[in-house]
Amino acid sequence: MTVTQTAGGAAAGPQPTGLADVIDTILDKGLVIDAYVRVSLVGIELLTVDARIVIASVDTYLRFAEAVGRLNIEDNKETLPELVGDIEESGASSKAKGAVRGALDAAGEKFGRGGDAEPVPQRRRRHADDE
Amino acid sequence: MRTTSDAGQAVPSGETALGIYVYGIVPADVAVTDTAKGVGDPPAKVHLVRYRDLAALASDVDVSQPLGRPEDLLAHEQLLDGAAKEAPVLPFRFGAVLQTEQAVEEELLAPYHDEFAAQLAEFEGRAQFVAKGRYREPAILREVLADDARAAGFRDELAGRPAGDPAARNLQIRLGEIINAAIDGKRTADTRQLGDVVAPYCVASNVREPSHELDAAHVALLVDTDRVADLEHALGELAGTWAGRVELRLLGPMAVYDFVSARTPGG
Repeated sequence: MTVTQTAGGAAAGPQPTGLADVIDTILDKGLVIDAYVRVSLVGIELLTVDARIVIASVDTYLRFAEAVGRLNIEDNKETLPELVGDIEESGASSKAKGAVRGALDAAGEKFGRGGDAEPVPQRRRRHADDE
Repeated sequence: MRTTSDAGQAVPSGETALGIYVYGIVPADVAVTDTAKGVGDPPAKVHLVRYRDLAALASDVDVSQPLGRPEDLLAHEQLLDGAAKEAPVLPFRFGAVLQTEQAVEEELLAPYHDEFAAQLAEFEGRAQFVAKGRYREPAILREVLADDARAAGFRDELAGRPAGDPAARNLQIRLGEIINAAIDGKRTADTRQLGDVVAPYCVASNVREPSHELDAAHVALLVDTDRVADLEHALGELAGTWAGRVELRLLGPMAVYDFVSARTPGG
């Protein structure tokens, strides 16, 4: 999956845009052509699901409860030093090291996007492109 | 209607199966490079349908084939976001197809020329970003358990139950319900905090519905491009404040999906 936003060349940082982000935007936002044209609009079968809406259900509640159960297990594990690394790897640690890594992630994100603000100026002709 | 697993088969002769897929509207001086990829398999070539100083970004599309593979969605988004880096763009929602190029010109661009031109002028030098915060589940659960004595009580009660205890299910549901409601409240507060932080650097903002139960904030921002660095700085500081608790991402620049306004004809 190529993402235009990574073109700035910064080394670190996760891909800023994935399919889920795209779906949130292009299926739910933007001009709706029906508002402008009815006569020659062509119906086309869209495979895409409707924009997702979060509806809390019993499944959601049970999932949260299970996550609390896992939390208890992890808290017990944290007394064993050899397992701490594994917990930090999963992002589950609330200790200082985890917090610092979170800040670095955020910084990487910021720098990862740094190149975006400098599109090559096109004096007269502009280019619409996908890369 | 006939469907086939063989992509790219010839459509039955005598039927008009081609339509014009419209991505968005740009100023007519935009140029489309040959490498621009549209929707469809194989990706369609993107071209412009011009009318006076406006143009529609468009491509031929086979309307006998369903549309919406991940590649189609990404093509739509990447074309518009790529164009938005160079020129103002009015993005259409995914899936807009008209019968002919003539219809694009005569029924879309001509009647709504003034409205589209006014909106393009409004978005010149501006871009959309989306700030998206996601709670780190263990951290936010610990917050809730620390804040809410009832939740902590259910947790302790559950911890003492043997595995497979049928009565535990009701306790789990009640615990989960409390957690979900607590996260809702935190989301409202954190979204407001993010809004306050970015307000000085944004022309407009749009709070989106959460798209995940662990969403901390989901806000689209319209930003003058000369304020982007300030916005990034402010959000970087917020991300530092939230470190370990919320993973904050800033997506963009992208086309102004959340800020185009579709007025009804004559309205």
